Order: sequence, then structure tokens, then C-alpha cells
Amino acid sequence: MTAARSDAATPLVKIRNLKLEASTQRGTAHILRGIDLDIGRGRILGVVGESGSGKSSLASCLLRLLPGNITRLDGLIDFDGTNLLTLDAAAMAGWRGRRIAMIFQDPMTALNPLFTVATHLVDVLRRRHPGISKPDALTRARAAMDSVGIADAALRLKAYPHELSGGMRQRVMIAMALLVEPDLLLADEPTTALDATVEAQIVDLLEGLRRKFSGSIVFISHHLGLVAQLCDDLCVMYGGTVVETGPVDEVLANPLHPYTRALLACEIEAGDEGGRLVSIPGEVQDPVAPHVACVFAPRCAYAVEACRSTVPALREAGPAGGARRVACIRFEEIA
Amino acid sequence: MSTPAPVDSRGAAPLVRMKGVSVVFGGTVRALDDVSLSMSQGEIVGLVGESGSGKTTLCRVLVGLTAATSGSVELDGRPLSDLLDKEPLAFRRRVQMLLQDAVASLSPRMTLGKTLREPIAIHGLPRQETTLRLQAILQRLGLPADVLAKFPHQISGGQARRAGVARALVMQPQIIIADEPTAGLDVSVQGELLNLLLDLQQEFNLTYLLVSHNLNVIRRVTGRTAVMYLGQIVEEAPTRELFGKPAHPYSAALLSTNPAIDPQHRSRRIVLKGEIPSVVNPPSGCRFHTRCPVAQPRCANDVPLWTDLSPGRRVRCHFPFSLDPQR
Repeated sequence: MTAARSDAATPLVKIRNLKLEASTQRGTAHILRGIDLDIGRGRILGVVGESGSGKSSLASCLLRLLPGNITRLDGLIDFDGTNLLTLDAAAMAGWRGRRIAMIFQDPMTALNPLFTVATHLVDVLRRRHPGISKPDALTRARAAMDSVGIADAALRLKAYPHELSGGMRQRVMIAMALLVEPDLLLADEPTTALDATVEAQIVDLLEGLRRKFSGSIVFISHHLGLVAQLCDDLCVMYGGTVVETGPVDEVLANPLHPYTRALLACEIEAGDEGGRLVSIPGEVQDPVAPHVACVFAPRCAYAVEACRSTVPALREAGPAGGARRVACIRFEEIA
Repeated sequence: MSTPAPVDSRGAAPLVRMKGVSVVFGGTVRALDDVSLSMSQGEIVGLVGESGSGKTTLCRVLVGLTAATSGSVELDGRPLSDLLDKEPLAFRRRVQMLLQDAVASLSPRMTLGKTLREPIAIHGLPRQETTLRLQAILQRLGLPADVLAKFPHQISGGQARRAGVARALVMQPQIIIADEPTAGLDVSVQGELLNLLLDLQQEFNLTYLLVSHNLNVIRRVTGRTAVMYLGQIVEEAPTRELFGKPAHPYSAALLSTNPAIDPQHRSRRIVLKGEIPSVVNPPSGCRFHTRCPVAQPRCANDVPLWTDLSPGRRVRCHFPFSLDPQR
């Protein structure tokens, strides 16, 4: 809806130097240590990283739904010309469920057990289109149920969440998100809680929907194979920083950051046989540690003294004007 | 037992032999239905299947926590019920479990020393000898000696996992049932745990049953894999053969759901319709026919038998190899 106003080449969301800190018993935790990231219009951005890398916190920042112990949130989240971080609480609330929607990992806890599926969907529509009549809303809700592959939509609308299977609940969550017609859809591990064959159904559904959906999607996952299959762009996070971004095929075919390389080496692929399995020695940096060096340096096989004394900037890599960025001072040398 | 024990490809009698095992809860829920599985000493067998397929019930039968309603389970040729009856402690030492959530499986109120020494007292093992063995195991696993004085919240997740391994090893087991040992682990540390388990298997000639949702782990680590669906093993095959050319349509669909990172290794994803039916009221005929993309009329009526395909390979399907993921 706003795409007409803006040039397709400018990203929908520009995140610059986003910092998120929280107070803990052990001191200040640096959850996001200065994130720079673009979310392209109409593109699916896969965000991968291990536990504690900050990928879910990034989604929370975009929604500005953060816990009470946050002591610092600054930087820039330029969403189509508006800095979300400067909006007051009421204005921000107006964005949620209108221009930004979210699909959560666990569809059981994300749906209200006291309301029917119809109530969930109609509420979303009333928020998005104030004044919509109930029959109109129900018609659109039914159509949305059809589009996410729920048979007997009329019957299922009357069901309560506990009467649906996990896969069906996740389909309802997706239907709700689609009814919002958001500019930005956040999906945080939307298939992780599902069984393999049901996960395949949901991935199939998401692939089909991307043709109908005009907005951008941020797809958070720890499953690189899934991201490779579903996404256009890739953002690799480690220790609250972005270590590498770029078109997903390019990054996976030619990873530049030592962490991306190490992560790909750990993945088991068809044809790997015998010998030792690969792991990354050491442990993830303590979030309480100050940010004075490359966060991956303690575990990096290529680290030199400079890596332990300077924070690497996210620099342009690959052909000039391209979308690849790498936060490593040595990536040219070690390529 | 009048029938001679089956002989595996290496000519040795199997260490564990489950034959036609069913487990029925409350008279109606057939959690396991006619399951047969053998494991030889030193083998690593993988077990895959979705929730409700019966993986956990199968593990519980093997460790003696759930009794088979019918069928036989033997360890070294002796019935499990007999072992549990006559020498329960000795049996429990021989079969140990590795639990999924290492931290949660350690009591938060006990130091690791207390947790690790408790089984020594329960089993009445010679204290001095076992303590020395425990120390050797800790050293082997790279755990510092002072870890024994610590509580679970004072150690790292990696140390907790190794403590769980130590607890299993101190009993000098023959068989380790590992239920999702890598679930919830980041890939960067998963390799370390699997290397450790593989090394220990070699050193102590252990036999593993490895239950996992992670098909990559199963493919990389196991020699033989059993695929479960709705309380039955639908296919059992050498792992390489299974991943190379699955015989059962369910195996083909399940394996196809595992997207490869490298586009060259990516195959067609077979998306099944519907969801796993309930074990309370399983479909007639072949239990998979309601979701099978290549089902034929016969599948709805005739129960497929557990049939030998080739040495070490069995399938429960009227039309094996009819769903080819490459096509």
C-alpha cells in the first residue's frame, strides 16, 4: 500500500546501530550490540543464529514489545520513513496488527483459549478495517481459512484452539497475520514446534503464500536448510551482532565471515560420512561482557590481536553496490 | 524358546531382540503394535518418527519401565521379564538412558558428586573401585574434579550434558538408550557431543539406540535405522540404503522434509495430506493409507506384513519403492 510512494530499491526497513541493553543481577546485558540491517521490500529475510544471538530480540525491537528490565533501546529503525523508536506508546500500538504482524513459534500459547477461531480472525479484521460489518468480516475470515488450506472453514471457525491440532493452529495464526495485510510480517521459528510432515505442509503453505503476499517477511530460524529454501536474503547473527548479510544463495555458496563458515561446516549434509563431526570450540560470549572486540574472536580460528581490540564494522563485500556485508576485519585475507 | 535366535549379518546372536511386541494402554490405545527390532553388540541403531509414533514407548519397554502387553523382549537370549524379576539391579546397570534435557535431569538440590555417587550406593557397588572409575570417567569426559562439589546451576550446559553421560557410564552399561540427545543443542556444539558418544561407543563397545528428530544426525551417526509411524515400525534398513532409496512411502516423505542447504542435494519435497491419525482409532489396513500419496484400494483393507526386502532390510508396505522422491 505504501510501495507506490517509495522506490522499490529503497528498503522497507533500515535498522542502524540498534542497541538493546537490559539490567540483570550480574550487570548490564548487551543483547543487541549495534545492529545494521536492511529489510528489502517484498523480500523474505532469513535471520539465523544460535541461542543468545539476539534474533528474537531483534523481532521484539521491531514490534517494540520488550520486557520491563530494558535499560537502553536506541539507534534507528526507519520503517518507510518513520523512526519506530521515536513513536510514543499509543502511536506504536497503532502499528501493531496494522502495518506489522507476527507469527509466533508456539501457536497454542499465541491463541486465546477462551475465544473461537472466528473471534480471533474477526478481531484482527475489525482492528485493520474499523467499521467492517460482521457478515463481511466472517466472509473474509472464511476466505482466509481457505487460503491457508483449512478444510471445512465454516465448521473450523466455530472451534476453540484446543480443538485444533498444532498444524491447524499454526495455519490459523498465519491466516490472522494475512488478514492484517501488513507491510512487515515477522515469523519467529514458525515451524519449530511442529512435526516433520506437518512442518513440510506449513513450509509449502508459506512458499505458496509468498506469491500472494506483497509485504516483506522476516523469517527467524535456526534451520539453515529451511532458510536456504524459503528466503531471498540472509542475515547471520552472533552474540548480538550481525556478522554477515546478503542474498541467501550468495552467502551460503561463498560465506565470508569465519562464523558463517564455521556454522556451515557444523551442518551435516548428504554425502558427509566418517571422520569427526565438526563443532565450534569454546562458548558464546557472555552478554554481560563489554563490547570492545569482535564478539566471535574468542572462538575464531583466524583471530589476530586486532580482532581482540577493535569492534569490526559491517563492511560492504563483493561487487560494489551489492547487498553483501561482512563484519570481519580479515575477510579479504582469509578468503 | 524353541525357535533359534535369529543371526545378524556378522553371525552373532543379537544382544537385544524384540519380537512382535505390542503395548496396549487401557485396553484401547495401542501405543506399540507388533514391533520387532534387534540390536547387536556394538551397533548404533537410529529410531525416527513423529510424535505419537511410539518411539518413547519403545524406549520405555527396552529399559523395563513399560511392560509389553504381548510379544517377547530378550536381552542376551533371556526374557526381559525374567531379568527384571530375578536380577533387576543388574539389568538396570546393563541398560542406561541418556535423557534429552541434561540440565533438568540433574537434581537442583544435589551436588553432582551426590548425584553421580547415588547409583553406586543403590547398586551396592564396591565403593573404592567405583569411585576410582568415576574419577577416570570424569577425566575422560574432560570434566574437572571440582565439578563434583558443584550444583547443576553452577556448571555450563556442556558440562551438564557430560555429567549425564558420566552418570550413565559409571554403571558400565552394555546398552545406552539416547532419547533426543542433541535436541535443543545449537549445531555448533552438537558435533562435540556426537563425537564424544561415538568415541565412547568404540572404547566400551557400547550399543546405542539413538532416538532423534534430526535426520542429519541419524544419517551421519547410525548404521541402521528404524522408521516408526503410528505405533509400528514401517521400515528398517541400513541407514545408507534408507537415505539412498527409502522403500516405504512414509520414509520417503519423512526424509524429503529435511531441506538441504546445498541446492545440489535438494530433492523434491513430498508434502503429505492431513495429520497423523490417533492411535486410539487407527486406520484400517495399512495405517498410513489415509495419507499415502501412492495408496491403492488394497491398502485400505489388507494389513501389510513385516516383510524382508533384502538382508537387514524389512518393510511394512504392499508396494515398496512406489514413491520415488527423485521423480
